[in-house]
Amino acid sequence: MTTIIETKKKVQLEIDGKTVLAPEGATILEAARAVGVRIPTLCYHEALSPIGSCRVCVVEVEGVDRPATACNTQALDGMRVVTRSERLFNLRREVIRMILAHHPLNCSPCPKNGDCELQDIAYEYDLAPNDFGSYSIKTEEYPWKEFSTPILDYHPRRCVLCGRCVKVCKEIRGLGAITMAGPGALASIQPALADPESPSRCVSCGECMRVCPVNAIEERMGGGKGKPWETEKTATTCAYCGVGCSLELNVVNGKVVGVTTDDAAGVNKGRLCSKGRFGYAFIHSGERLGKPLMRNEKGELEETTWTKALTKVAREFRRTLAEHGPDSIAGLSSARCTNEENYLFQRFIRQAIGSNNVDHCARL
Amino acid sequence: MAKVILGSWRDDVTDNRGLKKSAIPEAFKGLKEFESGNDILAFMGWDGFFLFDRDAPVVDMARAYVEKAQEESCGYCTPCRVGTKVVAEKLAALADGHGRREDIDAIRSMAAVIRDASMCELGHTSMTALLKMMELMPEAFEEAVAGRGPVKRGNYRAMATAPCIEACPAHLDIPEYVDAIRSGNYYESLAIIGRKNPLAGVCGRVCVRPCEFVCRREELDEAISIKHLKRFVNDQIVSYVSARSKPLEEIPSASGKNAAIIGAGPCGLTAAFYLKRKGHEVHIFEDLREPGGMSAVGIPDYRLPRDVISSEVRRISEIGVKFHYGKRLGRDLSLSQLETEYDSVLISVGAHGSKSVGMEGEDANPEGYVAGVTFLRDLNLLHHIGEFKPPVGTRVVVVGGGNVAMDCARSAIRLGYSKVSVVYRRTQKEMPADHEEIEGAMEEGVEFLFLTHPVRIDAEAGKVKGITCVKMDLGEPDASGRRRPVEVKGSDFFIECDIVIPAIGQSSDFSFLSSGSGIETTKWGTIAVDDNTMMTGRDRVFAGGDCVSGPAALIDAMGHGLRVAHCMDQRMRGEKMSMPEAERMFRLLKTMSLPQAPVNRLGNKARCRLEMRPARERTSDFVEIERGLKPDEAIREAERCLRCYRIALFATEE
Ligand SMILES: Cc1cc2nc3c(=O)[nH]c(=O)nc-3n(C[C@H](O)[C@H](O)[C@H](O)COP(=O)(O)OP(=O)(O)OC[C@H]3O[C@@H](n4cnc5c(N)ncnc54)[C@H](O)[C@@H]3O)c2cc1C
Ligand code: SF4
Ligand code: SF4
Ligand code: SF4
Ligand code: SF4
Ligand code: SF4
Ligand code: FES
Repeated sequence: MTTIIETKKKVQLEIDGKTVLAPEGATILEAARAVGVRIPTLCYHEALSPIGSCRVCVVEVEGVDRPATACNTQALDGMRVVTRSERLFNLRREVIRMILAHHPLNCSPCPKNGDCELQDIAYEYDLAPNDFGSYSIKTEEYPWKEFSTPILDYHPRRCVLCGRCVKVCKEIRGLGAITMAGPGALASIQPALADPESPSRCVSCGECMRVCPVNAIEERMGGGKGKPWETEKTATTCAYCGVGCSLELNVVNGKVVGVTTDDAAGVNKGRLCSKGRFGYAFIHSGERLGKPLMRNEKGELEETTWTKALTKVAREFRRTLAEHGPDSIAGLSSARCTNEENYLFQRFIRQAIGSNNVDHCARL
Repeated sequence: MAKVILGSWRDDVTDNRGLKKSAIPEAFKGLKEFESGNDILAFMGWDGFFLFDRDAPVVDMARAYVEKAQEESCGYCTPCRVGTKVVAEKLAALADGHGRREDIDAIRSMAAVIRDASMCELGHTSMTALLKMMELMPEAFEEAVAGRGPVKRGNYRAMATAPCIEACPAHLDIPEYVDAIRSGNYYESLAIIGRKNPLAGVCGRVCVRPCEFVCRREELDEAISIKHLKRFVNDQIVSYVSARSKPLEEIPSASGKNAAIIGAGPCGLTAAFYLKRKGHEVHIFEDLREPGGMSAVGIPDYRLPRDVISSEVRRISEIGVKFHYGKRLGRDLSLSQLETEYDSVLISVGAHGSKSVGMEGEDANPEGYVAGVTFLRDLNLLHHIGEFKPPVGTRVVVVGGGNVAMDCARSAIRLGYSKVSVVYRRTQKEMPADHEEIEGAMEEGVEFLFLTHPVRIDAEAGKVKGITCVKMDLGEPDASGRRRPVEVKGSDFFIECDIVIPAIGQSSDFSFLSSGSGIETTKWGTIAVDDNTMMTGRDRVFAGGDCVSGPAALIDAMGHGLRVAHCMDQRMRGEKMSMPEAERMFRLLKTMSLPQAPVNRLGNKARCRLEMRPARERTSDFVEIERGLKPDEAIREAERCLRCYRIALFATEE
């Protein structure tokens, strides 16, 4: 069977006996996926350049003694690759076991339980807590450190040091606010400083948290977020600015408890800024207006109905128009409206009222 | 001489317990003691181990080795980060006498995973010696779990090294700074370089880069551009820092001691920087009006712009080193005066005299006959302020085949002489100059006359009229392995010219040394120093750089500066002087000269090329030729590094 991936220059290689024509520069992993060969991965993330840190994706390449990592090894012409063998199975299993030797195995209280890539791969390789008797290493005492942003909490013990967060901050956020620093088993994610005196470059976008395969980076907005299986996700559009990012409100028992994204959806392809990702607490704020308010004769605000309120607004508009002309009325709309709503609003001011005095707050 | 009792290197076993023989030396010449009176009992390295003493503490040594591997592990990949920790803990339990038999199997299987699945060479090699020891001496490990209590302990000296680190005279941690570039942490990268090298911008442009010649990536495709990466981080940070224009903080002179340094060349500057960092008061006395030594007044601006040197020197003076220009030892200062005023003195005066070619008519010193270093010094000091008066004439002949000759020829082209020729007595292949320099000179229109040797300067009325040369042939190889040129009888010919620039070597001027000072010079015209301490025959007076090694390279002089600062610091603090322990280990490794394992990896990524100004554009000025790497190129280049880290450990008696 020959599968062809479209581009100009191609290399031909063999993966598990299947012939693959891959574009020059493709990795073994990409070539394998194109012909439906599944190679397990952990640190690899489609939106990022290969990291190569977890070593779960090892494969054997003919002519080279040491296994190569499929995610970051270039597919070359004439290569013969084997992705399944007893040796590879053992290597992968041992590597996952090493990761787990450093990770607390109390999944039940973890909010990631059921949506955790480490859990998935441990399950796939049939590793359960009682397999670790002889391997577990002494618990490292990490000195407490502020993560790069006050909105996020970082848990070094849970971290599997895949390096995705570092990559996403550099490649997608464009900042490089965090870095990985050793030594050895004490390695952790830390703020990267441009120089010792400059403050952290983090802008609290939470991209790092989004790509974390485990629950090592958490938002510091309070617990009780519910388990993945009790969470209902509602796809919607961020109301903060005109970019209009797609997001999913995570709802548990009728309450919004967080925001997630779908990598494939919308203009933002999974990315959000700190407002879109963390600015949802207002939804259930007691200080929000739930009903329209209208001043009574004494000038005090009083709850009323929409019909009454809108009737009053319409009446006052007509009166002002008649007494002072259309130029006495101006309209100011909100950046939190959609483009369509803003369009309608200016049509209304221009055509229904007849005034060109229309503007927009344009920022938040 | 250390005799091997049992050892293995790259699976080649030497067993002198009465079993097997092999190609690996039975004994290492020149290897016996770590320092005087402290014998080496065993060595563990990246491809195997050697026991030189029957009582070497095998299990405890393995523990120390793996603990060092864990300490040096960067933590990036799982097998090395976690695996070496697990193995180290299990070996520690074994050494303490708490180990169990199944631990031995667990160590063995985990070691294989670390070796096979780690990302870089540290993980690939950190288990090799251990696995081999477990194979050849299972009894030592079995004994440790037999419940007889703790095993015998030992003393160890261990470090992480790499071929490029070993080749660099300053032993810069190259993979570490390259790795920091890969992660985009430029500040950190420059700080790593700064631990050993305060002149990153200078070295990043003109270093002769011994590290690149041993780079293991060369086996796969091409060596890493270590030099260009150094320039890259330096330039990134310099532009960043100067944008903030914030000076470095002055380091207080807390030790209460002071040092005088003669000569502000690379050796003197490096020593000054590290002595200041160690808290001493440091004064540099320099004959000329500007710092940098040969990097400023030898190397022309088109290779190394002078503002690069001045910005690095500014950083050195910001931390508090005091510069005194126009002060020449022997004219404005005397050694005895300095000795009374300073706690230690460093002589780093370089080699600024020109060696004579040995041709007829040289001694008459006719007009138009200018030594290469003099020509370049005047050019460098005066051209940028518009006061340089070039030797009069139109045709120039440069004698020599090294970098200095190339600098003279390419500078002459830029000064607008109508014809510039280089005469060299061997062929292009034997030229000691960098091939980039030779090619650059050719592109710029320099004519090369190979296998040509000058025999006479022809002068008329005290002015050069031309030079008579003979043709040469290559004969038998000499001591340096290069074929010795022999004269072709009767092949004399005349080259008409107005200017002859000899550039075949430099010598030092030691007229400031009085006899009986206790400071000896060698038959090569250099200052004799104790190899261990870099101190001359006179207490508290040290020497380093070109005036000790003979004309060498920047980084050699800086390596000296680093070492001499170490010993001057020890001397001023009243401690026993000795070379840094790492330096000692590098030398022992060199003595052993162990065979390298081939790089068994996948390659196929060429190095990034630098953009150059086209020859036509660059020959009319002294503006820098090479443009630096761009960030994406630098990161791509840094990603090519294989991180050939490996742990070397010596078990010693004390
Ligand atoms: C033309 C040329 C090109 C070169 N190109 C390269 C290159 O591309 N790459 C490379 O790695 N190396 C190069 N080198 C070699 C390199 O420059 C030297 O090896 C290095 O500068 C030696 O450093 P140093 O500190 O020992 O001496 P120097 O750099 O020579 O510095 C000695 C300093 O001492 C001063 N001095 C001398 N006598 C006295 C005195 N009596 N009192 C006070 N001060 C005194 C001098 O003025 C000078 O500033 C080049 C050398 C030359 C000549
Ligand atoms: S919150 Fe955003 S900016 Fe801050 S570290 Fe994470 S990815 Fe980088
Ligand atoms: S915090 Fe998460 S994404 Fe970052 S290295 Fe740890 S596990 Fe990976
Ligand atoms: S506020 Fe942020 S998340 Fe919301 S639409 Fe704008 S950019 Fe996207
Ligand atoms: S030193 Fe090399 S092998 Fe060890 S953790 Fe870092 S990348 Fe992996
Ligand atoms: S590949 Fe990197 S670590 Fe290895 S020799 Fe070259 S520069 Fe040094
Ligand atoms: S997925 Fe390839 S190394 Fe992690």
